[in-house]
Amino acid sequence: MNEESDESTDTALEKRSGALFQDSVESVDFAMRSRLTRARHAALEAAAGAQPRQHLLGMPMWKPIAGVAAAALLGVALWYGPLSGTLAGNHGVTNDSQNTLDDLDIVASSDPGSVDAIDMLQDDLDFYDFADKATNAGPAA
Amino acid sequence: MPRFDTLQPARMVWDVPAPACGGALLEHTQDLNQFLAEIERRAFRMAQVALRDADDALDVVQDAMLKLARSYGSRPSSEWRPLFYRILENGIRDLQRRRTVRKKFMVWLPGAKDDPDNEALDPLDTVADGSPDAPERLMQDQAMQQLEASLRALPARQREAFMLRNFEGLDVAETAKAMGCSEGSVKTHYSRAVHSLREQLGEVW
Repeated sequence: MNEESDESTDTALEKRSGALFQDSVESVDFAMRSRLTRARHAALEAAAGAQPRQHLLGMPMWKPIAGVAAAALLGVALWYGPLSGTLAGNHGVTNDSQNTLDDLDIVASSDPGSVDAIDMLQDDLDFYDFADKATNAGPAA
Repeated sequence: MPRFDTLQPARMVWDVPAPACGGALLEHTQDLNQFLAEIERRAFRMAQVALRDADDALDVVQDAMLKLARSYGSRPSSEWRPLFYRILENGIRDLQRRRTVRKKFMVWLPGAKDDPDNEALDPLDTVADGSPDAPERLMQDQAMQQLEASLRALPARQREAFMLRNFEGLDVAETAKAMGCSEGSVKTHYSRAVHSLREQLGEVW
């Protein structure tokens, strides 16, 4: 009898407390409702921003692996393969071409009116003058 | 005449955040939005009962929403409710722990008052309401205040079990998931909570 009374009291208490709580939920003011709505939107947007991109999600797993493997294969082929010989053979040609280009660059960079060009011309004249004198003085020696 | 503060807010165009892309994602986001919209006020009130501070309660609820959406949004929607309340209860407990630590430090500072438990009542809260159902409203408010005070006096696990079962309507299994304990523990906590509340409120109610 006493237990039944306790149980009915408990049930009444549970019902009343539930109803009071629900009433207090309904009484949450507009300002707080608005803040809750903003908080919800912020949470959903932040979560959406943190999700991985869809086109990456749709990409099969083997594609990046295949890409890396192809790059590694190409690297090995360039290093050890027949192409490396061809490239080595061309290496001298490339150096010669480079030297020619350097000479051309030096000549081109020599301004005809510059001091270097005048000195070279003077040297040439001195040489020809010396050679002429030496030729003429040869039989006398 | 309906009370102004019980009217439902108008449904806005921006009520659902813009989808990232894809129909499935849109549907998923809408489901999650709807779920959170359904529970947000109850969750807020439960946090407010436990924390006695509206701003702290809002922070905890928002944090729980964010964590649910980020970490468990992809789970089946049937799992959202216990997961959400588990995150919420953890947040409430963390905040209460931080408050306890802060209170210990605040004791050493003269004149410091940063404890919501010691907040003075706002005089505007005590102004009489002029509406016809004011006496009934006042009685309900007083009863709710008594209930809140009694709930705060309960051990945390009993309070959690009572609020999740009675206020949120979770069954024993869902409550066990939300509390991270066995169903037997839930029954024990709930039974003790009801017993304590009856002792405290029985005479008044």
